[in-house]
Amino acid sequence: MDTETSLMTPAAVQVLAAMLFGLGLTVAVIRRNIFIVLMGIELMLNAVNLSFVGFSRTLAGDASLLGMLAPLFTIAIAAAEACVGLAMVILLVRGKDSIDADAFSAMKE
Amino acid sequence: MFPELNTTIANIYFGGLAIAALCCAIGVLTSRHPLNAAVLLIGAMLSLSGIYALLDAPFMAVVQVLVYAGAVMMLVVFVIMVLNRARDYMLPRFDAWSVATAAAPLALTAMLAFSMAKHPLAGSAGAVRGEPEPIAARMFAMGDGGGWWLLFVAVGVTLLVAVVGAVLLAKRTLDTPAEEPVKEEAGHGH
Repeated sequence: MDTETSLMTPAAVQVLAAMLFGLGLTVAVIRRNIFIVLMGIELMLNAVNLSFVGFSRTLAGDASLLGMLAPLFTIAIAAAEACVGLAMVILLVRGKDSIDADAFSAMKE
Repeated sequence: MFPELNTTIANIYFGGLAIAALCCAIGVLTSRHPLNAAVLLIGAMLSLSGIYALLDAPFMAVVQVLVYAGAVMMLVVFVIMVLNRARDYMLPRFDAWSVATAAAPLALTAMLAFSMAKHPLAGSAGAVRGEPEPIAARMFAMGDGGGWWLLFVAVGVTLLVAVVGAVLLAKRTLDTPAEEPVKEEAGHGH
């Protein structure tokens, strides 16, 4: 694949990852529904994985494989995070009967 | 596993998948019901999987579909449906202060994207294609530069602890057997 006319440059992949990370951060910060806050965190983790794989394409040999090992660990940790996070959501909803993030401000009072 | 594409086709695929991922992410931001957001997030993850395949990382593409779009989102959708109430639609999506704070992540994105676009990055011709065999050989290498297998074991233990922790957190009370109905629900957690 000749790199002169290709849209899929490493910089384009990084810009896409940055935009997805920003959107995920926005979702996690401004949405009130705690399910969607969790989904924003998942979107941020996905964007970081894309950034890893994009950077691994700019390296040669062994280093390019390490750029794909790290996202595998990120994915496994994200699965554990989703598991515990959703259990906490179940616990929170059972306590307050609400999925509004503003309902869980007991630390503020 | 994936055939070699010519540049025009690859450009069309990459552009389409990138636009699909961004549109799905914007949809997550604006959707009213969490189930709609979950389906859109699955769309974003599948688009990212296609981009991994275009980036010569077929193993990452398959793992992305299996673990993210399959397992993690199945868990999310399952919990949304367990806890689903009709009044979730009534919850306002944003409030005025949080919309004002959205300027900060958007400015961060603009700065990151600008610096990445200005930075000279070039693809390497010597990059190894991410097939399962070289990745597995690298992960379980025992000699010099090895040791990733130890992290692999640690991640396995972390997943086991997370599952046990999730069961302990989500169980109503630890002493009550499962078949016995639990009466005190209103006063729980106070």
